[in-house]
Amino acid sequence: MASRELISYDTGATVKILKWVSPVFLGAYLIWALLPLFIMLMASFKDLLDAFTLPKPGQWGDVGVFFDFSPTITHYIALFAENNFGTYLFNSLVASVGSAMIAVTLGSMCAYSLSRTEFRGKKDLLFWIISTRMAPIVAVIVPLYAIFRSADLVGTLPGLILAFTTFNLPFAIWMLKGFFDGVPYAIEEAAQVDGNNRFQAFLMILPLVAPGIGAFVILCILFAWNDFLFATIIGSGGAKTLPAATKELVQPQNIDWGKIMAAGVVTTAPMIPLGLLVRRYLVAGLTMGAVKE
Amino acid sequence: MTIGSEKNIHPALSDQDWGYATISQTPTSVNPNPKKWFYFYLAAPAIILLAAITIYPFFWLIYMSFHKVGFGAVSDVFVGLKNFSRLFSDAKFIAGWGLLLKYSAICLTIQVLVGVALAVVLNNSRYEKPLITMFLMPMMVSPVVAGLLFYYLYNGTFGWYHWIFQSLGILGETSILGNSSTALYGIILVDVWQWTPLITLITLAGLKRVPQDQLEANMVDGAGSISNFFHISLPNIYPFLLIAILLRFMDNFRFIDAILVLTGGGPGNSTRLLPVYLFDVSFQFFKLGRGAAIAISLLIVTIILGMILVRVLEDPARKSTLAGDSDS
Repeated sequence: MASRELISYDTGATVKILKWVSPVFLGAYLIWALLPLFIMLMASFKDLLDAFTLPKPGQWGDVGVFFDFSPTITHYIALFAENNFGTYLFNSLVASVGSAMIAVTLGSMCAYSLSRTEFRGKKDLLFWIISTRMAPIVAVIVPLYAIFRSADLVGTLPGLILAFTTFNLPFAIWMLKGFFDGVPYAIEEAAQVDGNNRFQAFLMILPLVAPGIGAFVILCILFAWNDFLFATIIGSGGAKTLPAATKELVQPQNIDWGKIMAAGVVTTAPMIPLGLLVRRYLVAGLTMGAVKE
Repeated sequence: MTIGSEKNIHPALSDQDWGYATISQTPTSVNPNPKKWFYFYLAAPAIILLAAITIYPFFWLIYMSFHKVGFGAVSDVFVGLKNFSRLFSDAKFIAGWGLLLKYSAICLTIQVLVGVALAVVLNNSRYEKPLITMFLMPMMVSPVVAGLLFYYLYNGTFGWYHWIFQSLGILGETSILGNSSTALYGIILVDVWQWTPLITLITLAGLKRVPQDQLEANMVDGAGSISNFFHISLPNIYPFLLIAILLRFMDNFRFIDAILVLTGGGPGNSTRLLPVYLFDVSFQFFKLGRGAAIAISLLIVTIILGMILVRVLEDPARKSTLAGDSDS
């Protein structure tokens, strides 16, 4: 990029001030972004007394008490031994991976077809697909719950997978269509001339969109894993996931913050590396493909 | 893309071009004489599944909105438009819309100002990659976990953020969530923490597409980098910001997890944004008919916003900017 050289020609006073202000601004934002996560991590290793120790208001010199504790892993042990977090971890894993797989499998078939054909009303169909993704979950969850209950799906993993698919499937279709649009039909035509049938030709171009498919599987897992409303309402009972179970640790009488922070760490820890893994596709994924990097 | 230009390499081979916005008349991906049934069968499972889990609930929602919904042995009673007409005299409904707009406006103002500033400072800096990676982390946190985490940080007796606010003299003894005049700002901070990096990412993507020749021309005219930002870069990243704002605004309709955990709408009704109120009407008071009417009002606004979004995406002038055709 040429812009760095261009900026260095600049010697105005404002630019000089900016040169000083920028690192301070970036440093301050870095603290603001990471401090809550850091406090959560530390609190998950503190026993109750240490977690509640604060200096007196205004005593900035005493901030050191934050680090003054002997780490313990009792909260993590308790989560898995007493609170069944092993099961919830399993539920989260199965429900999010399951819905991501269904969404991307059905989604890529549908996206491929939409990319290969032109027909009247295609724009409306696409708008309907994207609007199902944008609809507020609170608005549709009551009728959805009624349907799920009449099908005996409430509190079951298949039910939860289906519930997560309601937002992952339109996402997958919309995003993958963008990928298939970039693959010319001529490639399949050539494959068919070579004696493959249409379906084989479709399978043959899948490797071309594989990076996209992989990235969107991961993004779908992320959306499903972090979901809360479906997890509490559709999954309540037999298919509780980590976010729902974490929320349930908050009891009106006695809030065990150490455990809640540990549960927060367990819920968050796998998602940060996954999110960073698909970092390149993140902007596209979160803007429904409108902006790409 | 024009035929014969050096950019016209095979899209599948080009690492950069994913073809999102090159949808326009891209005939290369379309089968010129398709046998429709094959594509129809391939698309059918997804469309049928999507229809089953969206269209059916939608009609059910409309049905409920015209009824007083009963439970168990009590059957539904048709009440016509009463559920809707009562909304206009429902103070919490009107206040809910007001709060939703106020919350979104404050969140987005802070996020855009801070997010764009971060992007400008980060753009082409030596530490761009590692810093943006760390800034992104809050986005991966489940909203309900973020809510619980800030609930802990805001706590009036042992919360570190409360201690900081108190030490700075911003707050007294009561925590930020305990007072109806500050609670809204408490939930706004959580949203700002989680989603400012998205604006930064989108702006960064935009800044990389600002045409260098325009910047250079402006510099030849004697402009500095400040003027460059306001006169060249900002107009160029405007479509990116518009999309970011629309998407974040719609997400405020969708995600109330953190608010439910942090305040549940209180104290008083100071954080009872419309989606939170809808949640209460349906799941606390079980007034499903009235809830459906509120839900429909929310859906209508979402659909209008969605149409604006699609219009922005399909505007040819913006599309070419977003697709990065000016990029080289």
